[in-house]
Amino acid sequence: MISGGAGLVGIGLRAPHVAEILAARPPVGWLEVHTENYLGGGPALRALDRIRREHPISLHGVGLSLGSAEGLDRGHLARVVALTRRIEPALVSEHLSWSIAGGAYLNHLLPLPYTEESLAVVAAHVAEAQEALGRPLLVENPSSYLRFQHSPIPEPEFLAELARRTGCSLLCDVNNVFVSCRNFDHDPVAYLDALPASSIGEIHLAGHAENEADGRVILIDDHGSRVSDEVWALYARALERFGPRPTLIEWDTDIPALPVLLDEAGRAEVAITRSVAEGGSRALAA
Amino acid sequence: MPSLREIESEMRLALLGGDDGPARTMVRGDGLEPAARLAIYRHHVVTTLTAALQATFPVVCRLVDERFFAYAADRYIQVEPPSGPCLFEYGAGFANFLAGFPPCRSLPYLADVARLEWAMQRALHAPDAIPLPIRAIQGVAPDLAGSLTLTLDPSVTLLSSRYPVDRIWRANQVDEPEPAVVNLADGGARLEIRRSGDDVVFRALDPAVFVFRHALARGGDLAAATAEALAADPAFDLGSALTALFADGLPIALGPTPSTPGDDPCQREP
Repeated sequence: MISGGAGLVGIGLRAPHVAEILAARPPVGWLEVHTENYLGGGPALRALDRIRREHPISLHGVGLSLGSAEGLDRGHLARVVALTRRIEPALVSEHLSWSIAGGAYLNHLLPLPYTEESLAVVAAHVAEAQEALGRPLLVENPSSYLRFQHSPIPEPEFLAELARRTGCSLLCDVNNVFVSCRNFDHDPVAYLDALPASSIGEIHLAGHAENEADGRVILIDDHGSRVSDEVWALYARALERFGPRPTLIEWDTDIPALPVLLDEAGRAEVAITRSVAEGGSRALAA
Repeated sequence: MPSLREIESEMRLALLGGDDGPARTMVRGDGLEPAARLAIYRHHVVTTLTAALQATFPVVCRLVDERFFAYAADRYIQVEPPSGPCLFEYGAGFANFLAGFPPCRSLPYLADVARLEWAMQRALHAPDAIPLPIRAIQGVAPDLAGSLTLTLDPSVTLLSSRYPVDRIWRANQVDEPEPAVVNLADGGARLEIRRSGDDVVFRALDPAVFVFRHALARGGDLAAATAEALAADPAFDLGSALTALFADGLPIALGPTPSTPGDDPCQREP
């Protein structure tokens, strides 16, 4: 039985913290890196080789472009497979999005129309990636700022069907749920409730920004601040619904000192411990 | 109803600064103009790719200032977006783009500074390689030695410029509070850029040694490289050049240099 959150919470490892992590070995459950930053050689890969001896690693990809109609970049997939064999990560994840069209990589997790056609494309690519990796993939829900005219399948249903067809797990980014639902006037709790709890293998938490476009507030998933109170509340709800899950604190812009990330991780650990205790008392009362 | 391929193709056009008309018809407004929603994505694409180029070409950015750099990067991103998701590999063509970019005409050395920074970027991320000991060629029969080729460390670039790009680079480091004055008439540079341990280093080579190593890096055999070096300097000595080459740890295998299309380890100004 999991008695608390320690060990379940990780942080996103970014370049400014690598030396400190290697030297200080802070008490953090695990570390997640962006796969594409380690597909070359040299000092970056050497540092990761050392870090993996001290901490469980999660490889979080941003470049497979699972939703590209033109097919997966097989050369890129082969490099991801080689890194996965070398690092032996605890988790391997990617996104429900696309980034490559006409051979150009657009460096953004771009939204898909949620149609039967897209579902078939993404499911085929998830299956191809899992076959090459020899292990299941975790697929993350995106943050969105636009929807397509024709997109009849609700996003959580699309993800649930993807998991059912491919056997992939889902990475529930609670901040993305909040950002997308707020941007399209959806209920984030209903979104969480529509996800299959047994498929959730990881949770992400991050900060977002509030921007204004033509007098309308748009939330932007910039990973540039502490997790908002509303997202912490939604995280508590996610834990209640999914049970304790490996949880990551992500921070990518205006990266703060390492103790700030560890402080956020500590907060997630407390939330997991509390949800386990409350889950126990609910079970006793039933 | 447009297919997924059509949607992605029109999105690509809109996000790279082309006609966003077709993409606008595919996107719901949800209380905004569809163009405003596409602009959120375009802003992210351009700013993050510009930041990636800025990280790879910090001295170019310092030489032209950040605003002009962002302008040049925006144009470059349109004509040559990344071809793959590893952003540390983005920018191979930036130097050539700058060389042909009319607003940069008053800075004739800029493209070669970009070539130096690109060589440094390549060196930083090149795969690790184990140097070959000199005894590996000591057993080669003398009559076969001339046709011997050597594969050099993949982090190495040999770069020549008619401008003193090494001095320009050093004078524009952020820890140089008062950029030194570099006289363009001081002459050009023949540089060897490579990784040493975790660091990227470069140094100037004398003309014959540069020509010799450059010929080997292109896949030329020892006889051809020696002939080129002797043409540059009749006093060139093959024995000491080979000793220095192996002492520097450059050869990693006997045999031809595998060439990667579009990523030439030997760069010279056009």
